Amino acid sequence: MSVLAYLLLAAVTILNICLFLSRRGGRRDSDREGFGTGQETSLPGGWGSLASELGARIFDPEDLNFVASETSRQLTRQFRQERTALALDWLRAVRSEVNQLIRAHLRVARGNADLQPADEIKLGFEFLVFQLTSGILYLVIWAFGPPRAAKLVGYSLALAGQLRKVTKDVLPAGHQVAVEIMDSKQEAQS
Amino acid sequence: MHGGLKHEDVEAARRDLAGRTLAKIRGDFARLIYLASMRDYNTGEYHHEGLACRFTESVARRAIASCHRDAFRRMVLCSVKELVEELELYAASNCTTASELVRVWEKLQPYRIAVPSECSSLAARFFTSNIRTALAVLQSRQLRAHREALSALPSP
Repeated sequence: MSVLAYLLLAAVTILNICLFLSRRGGRRDSDREGFGTGQETSLPGGWGSLASELGARIFDPEDLNFVASETSRQLTRQFRQERTALALDWLRAVRSEVNQLIRAHLRVARGNADLQPADEIKLGFEFLVFQLTSGILYLVIWAFGPPRAAKLVGYSLALAGQLRKVTKDVLPAGHQVAVEIMDSKQEAQS
Repeated sequence: MHGGLKHEDVEAARRDLAGRTLAKIRGDFARLIYLASMRDYNTGEYHHEGLACRFTESVARRAIASCHRDAFRRMVLCSVKELVEELELYAASNCTTASELVRVWEKLQPYRIAVPSECSSLAARFFTSNIRTALAVLQSRQLRAHREALSALPSP
């Protein structure tokens, strides 16, 4: 019984940390958007697809292995720290995109009379799982570095893709709005 | 209609630039630096006299910007190992040694201007981090080679 209580306590603690990190990441996104270009979020076409390809590069262990074989331990450590910081920023950008998509969906869903509660619950659940996974991913990247988190990244991205698909299936207008937001953002930037 | 025509013009200008100029430059990194050097530091606009004469100023500008984005994309997505090779090729094609390139680039950091203006800050930071690392790898190789050369000398 006491083991179960400890496990429950550990689970609650992990959940709290994930939620804290998740909020922290979200806040940093909004801070960044205040003075940055705000282009980390996926944009249709060129730079948007670059963001996802960049993710694959950041988490690829090939570079770290190469640097470790060619340079000193100190430089390798420095490189790993840089990659960790970049990976965390990349994760924040992905989460910012998903949050934006969900916000756009909610805005459209409020005025839609044909909503299917089951689909909305499914979407809510998937969003929760994504938040949880990305929170854990944040912890894993921070603690062990990007190469060790590579597998979990694939899972998180699959979930993000699933969320995108579900928002599109549940409410095509929601997706349309999200795309319009991103389009107008790109036009403003160009 | 006008937009469609414009797009075709830009594509034609891109092909022209790639065929006449970029094809003669050895290495993707050298192409990236060349394309970035056509950008005005104050206005951020690209300029190429020949291309602007053959097409129009705005078409040439868009074509160069597009080629610059493509070249940057290729470089930002390549591995550090490939980047080291590109830097070695760049040094060789500019008649300088890798050690000289490392010395000057670590000081002046000219690679920062190679980033297209509409690129995300994450991609820009990733690129500069990779270049710094590639320069560090080149430096380590030179130090190693220097040490090996010294140890190969006969002791007095």
